[in-house]
Amino acid sequence: MLAGFRALLHKDLTLERRGGRVVVEISVLSLLVLVVLVIAYGPQAGQRPVAAAGALWVALILSGLSGASLAVSAEHENDCLTGLRLSPLEPATIYAAKVAGAALTMAVSQAATLLLLVLFFNLQFDLNLLRLIPVLLLGTFGLCAISTLLGTVTSRLRAGEMLLALLAAPLYVPELIAGVKASAAVLGGASLTAVVLPLKILAACDLLFAVCGYLLFEYLAA
Amino acid sequence: MNHLSYLFAAYSIIFLAVFLYIILLWRRQAQLEAELLRLEEEVRELVRKMAPPEDGRPNVT
Amino acid sequence: MRLSLTTAFAAATCVLVLAALFMVFVYVPTEATQGIVQRIFYFHVPCAWVAFLGFGLGAIAGAFYLFFAQQVWDDIGYSAVEVGMLFCTLVLITGSLWAKPIWGTWWTWDSRLTTTFILWLLYAGYLLLRVIGEESERVARLAAVVAIVAVLDIPLIVISVRLWRTIHPAVLVTRSGEHGLEDPRMLQTLAVSMLAVSALSAWLFWMRLKTVRARSRLFQLRRVLAATQALRNGAP
Repeated sequence: MLAGFRALLHKDLTLERRGGRVVVEISVLSLLVLVVLVIAYGPQAGQRPVAAAGALWVALILSGLSGASLAVSAEHENDCLTGLRLSPLEPATIYAAKVAGAALTMAVSQAATLLLLVLFFNLQFDLNLLRLIPVLLLGTFGLCAISTLLGTVTSRLRAGEMLLALLAAPLYVPELIAGVKASAAVLGGASLTAVVLPLKILAACDLLFAVCGYLLFEYLAA
Repeated sequence: MNHLSYLFAAYSIIFLAVFLYIILLWRRQAQLEAELLRLEEEVRELVRKMAPPEDGRPNVT
Repeated sequence: MRLSLTTAFAAATCVLVLAALFMVFVYVPTEATQGIVQRIFYFHVPCAWVAFLGFGLGAIAGAFYLFFAQQVWDDIGYSAVEVGMLFCTLVLITGSLWAKPIWGTWWTWDSRLTTTFILWLLYAGYLLLRVIGEESERVARLAAVVAIVAVLDIPLIVISVRLWRTIHPAVLVTRSGEHGLEDPRMLQTLAVSMLAVSALSAWLFWMRLKTVRARSRLFQLRRVLAATQALRNGAP
């Protein structure tokens, strides 16, 4: 199972390294979202960590949902998903590899987003940014887990992207609330121990989505 | 609007919504039943045409 | 005259609803602090109850559909969620109509309201999927997965939004642990309303299930017809 997971993850990352489509597209989308929000917030934007945290999570969700659609729809070309299902790989292994690939791709894009966030919202390159990383990683994983599960089917439907956003976003709300709270606190100078409760909620949601995906993916990939 | 208006609006909306939903279901059921009858007849007709004739000759149209 | 079970149940539901309305508008005393607009509560709470029941049934039926792959479970899930959505919408509307005279605002991002609105959004997505998605097993399975994940996600939604303060009244269980209905007639009215709305939702669910079953049968027949025609055209 581990060999299959590694092989599939390697395939996805190699494709992304060669084509670079998903990272570029979601990074550009994040940039656009941040620009729009900075303009919408006005000149006060740079003075409020809450504004930066909110903008970061809006960029994360919009780019993450778009990225998930792209990553999963790639498997529908030449019916690759059917080929994967016919392979000896278990559906849960395929799901785990897809989520890991999506999460790694998004993590690369988010490094760029964080840089832009620092520039646009007048943040400092300090310890607060480092404390933000675990919060973002937990949020990214949860988003990838739920959008990979749902995107397996929505990417094959008409208005699939809209449907994915409509289905995944409400499910993602607890992570969004906890993530924004934790991010705002951390950017305002709080330590990670001060945001234990939001981190627990993020972890609980990640666990729920991962377990649901692990158990239910085979019914959607058929 | 006084409090009585809000109360009246609330209960009116509840029963209007339920009433409209019942009408919608009733009409949809009538349409579905008509379509089902038509389709069942079509399937029966098709199966009858496909059945071998009693005198043993091939059923060629 | 022989009455079918459905007709008898419909008649009993009508009687219950009329009895509930009589109790709400005539029998129950007016609440001291909120005035007559408090009477919205006697249908608002039962609507919330049947909405949650509908979503719960939708999730259970979804799980059974994934496990047993029988169309009847998909039909039950779809019907339950649709009726649940009707009552969830009524909860939000009646809640707003109560909130405006009492809180002075149609809406606030209080934890209870936010949770209910997110729930409404979740299942609106489910219904949109059913309407937009093609009639296929794949879409039905996705809908089942959404129903299951949504129900499991609800406790997390509740916990996360409770990080905010709530101003929603705690009537059924107050913060001291007792119920907030001071007059026994209020509790009686609520009980009858609960029964009436539950019976009404059960009847609507049954009617909706009939149409969904008929629609499934229709699609099944169309597939049989198409297959039979293909067979006939392909025959030498």
